[in-house]
Amino acid sequence: MAISNKSFEEELILVREELCFEKEEKGKLFAELIVARNELSFQKDERGKRAAELGLANIELAFEDGEKEKRAVELGIANIELVFQNNEKEKRAAELIIANQELTFQNGEKEKRAAELIIANKELAFQNEEKGKRAAELIIANQELTFQNGEKEKRAAELIIANKELAFQNEEKGKRAEELVLVNTELLAFNYISSHDLQEPLRKIQTLAGRILEKETQNLSDAGKDYFHRIQSAAGRMRQLIEDLLVYSRTNIAERKFEKIDLNIIIEEVKAELKENIEEKHAIIEATEMCEMNLIPFQFRQLMHNLIRNALKFSSPKRPPHILIKSRIVKGNKLNNAKLVGAKSYCHISVTDNGIGFEPEYKDRIFEVFQKLHSREEYEGTGIGLAIVKKIVENHNGIVTATSQLNKGATFDIYIPVTEN
Amino acid sequence: MAANEVRVLLADDDIDDCLLFKEALEELPLSTRLTIVNDGDQLMKMLLKNTSQLPHVLFLDVNMPRKNGFECLAEIKLNDKLKSLPVILYSTSSEQDVIDRLFQNGAQHFIRKPSDFSQLKRVIHYSLTLIMQEISLKRTKNNFILTGENALINSEAI
Repeated sequence: MAISNKSFEEELILVREELCFEKEEKGKLFAELIVARNELSFQKDERGKRAAELGLANIELAFEDGEKEKRAVELGIANIELVFQNNEKEKRAAELIIANQELTFQNGEKEKRAAELIIANKELAFQNEEKGKRAAELIIANQELTFQNGEKEKRAAELIIANKELAFQNEEKGKRAEELVLVNTELLAFNYISSHDLQEPLRKIQTLAGRILEKETQNLSDAGKDYFHRIQSAAGRMRQLIEDLLVYSRTNIAERKFEKIDLNIIIEEVKAELKENIEEKHAIIEATEMCEMNLIPFQFRQLMHNLIRNALKFSSPKRPPHILIKSRIVKGNKLNNAKLVGAKSYCHISVTDNGIGFEPEYKDRIFEVFQKLHSREEYEGTGIGLAIVKKIVENHNGIVTATSQLNKGATFDIYIPVTEN
Repeated sequence: MAANEVRVLLADDDIDDCLLFKEALEELPLSTRLTIVNDGDQLMKMLLKNTSQLPHVLFLDVNMPRKNGFECLAEIKLNDKLKSLPVILYSTSSEQDVIDRLFQNGAQHFIRKPSDFSQLKRVIHYSLTLIMQEISLKRTKNNFILTGENALINSEAI
């Protein structure tokens, strides 16, 4: 029974404390009622203030309304303006579309052009490269030309010197030519005198001696007649000499006109000229394989005439003359003569007889002027005939040789270079 | 007699040749009348003085003073009254180009003066015979040159 006492006491404290706490809470609640009354009063004040403030705000709102109306009017005007501007902008946009299309087209064109330009550029680049190469080549060529120019200048300088030398030589030759013209003129004058003036007195001597022998024969002794015969004969020889010399000098200065002619023709003409002589000596003349060649006809006729007449004149009394004339075209190296050019073609003419011939040591001398191997009593003649032959062969740029042995005939070989017309 | 006689004119400055020509002509069996002039000038004056009675033939020396045979021949052949006169050129020399020129210039014949009198006689005789026969005949080059020798050969044919 002790614990029950105690728990009461504790219950009594707890109730007291509870009573105390309720009293305290009543006090607090009162205080709070006072604060709430105060608060309500404050809130009443505040509402008044707020009503005043709302009045003010109303006024303010009315004013703002007016403003807003004004602003609405202004906005209507601005709207119209904006509509107008919009329309403008649409037009501009349409224009811009067109312009855009145009620009698009132009762009396309420009692209094409650009593409073309690219190709063209490549081409130009290629050409540039080529030109670069060509330029390089030209530089080399230029250097070469510069070198050659230099060489040419040197050559030109040499030529100037050579020219001067030639000019000098020309002048000398001109002088020489003038001298030759003078000499030639003199020769022509001599020729004329020989052919006319020198012969004329001789002809008179011959004719008048003949007249005396004819008309005065009864008044002359035999010795007298013989003297007159000798006068005639000497004058005749002198005329022959003059004539032969004339022929010789004419072969020097006469016009040298070459013609293509058949040697047969020339030989036939000479045979006709010597017909009586040939018949008288019962001579046989054989001409075989005669070629055609470029020669001075009247000179060559003289040449053949002299050779054949010689062969007839120096024929052997023991046998009738047999003269063999041959010709052929042959290369120099096939002929046994050092004076001939190996590669050249020659017309080789040979005249062979069966006459008295001559000793081999005279083979050159017989071609000299006035050189005779026999006295006048044995064989008449002036000693010019073979000199004329040699001169004529030389006029044809050829050579002539003679080969013989005494009493074994003679052969005359003539070599004339073959020329085109 | 005078009707048959051959009128021969000789133009030559060489008096020896004139004498020989005259003697040769006299010895020929022909009736001739010879007139001699000694230069070309004289010759042309004589021919032009009497063109109605020209000689039958003129023997013309090539080389003469004053006017040579070439000049006389050209004048004769260019003169209508004289050109029918046969002209025989007569010279000491016988250069071929001279002979060719004379033929071209219209000479009838060319005679080289022979150095033998009998040949002189023959060639004169022969040429006169040819002239009297062939006055109207054409000139040919192959009987242009007359010599004593071809006279001998051809006289048999006359």
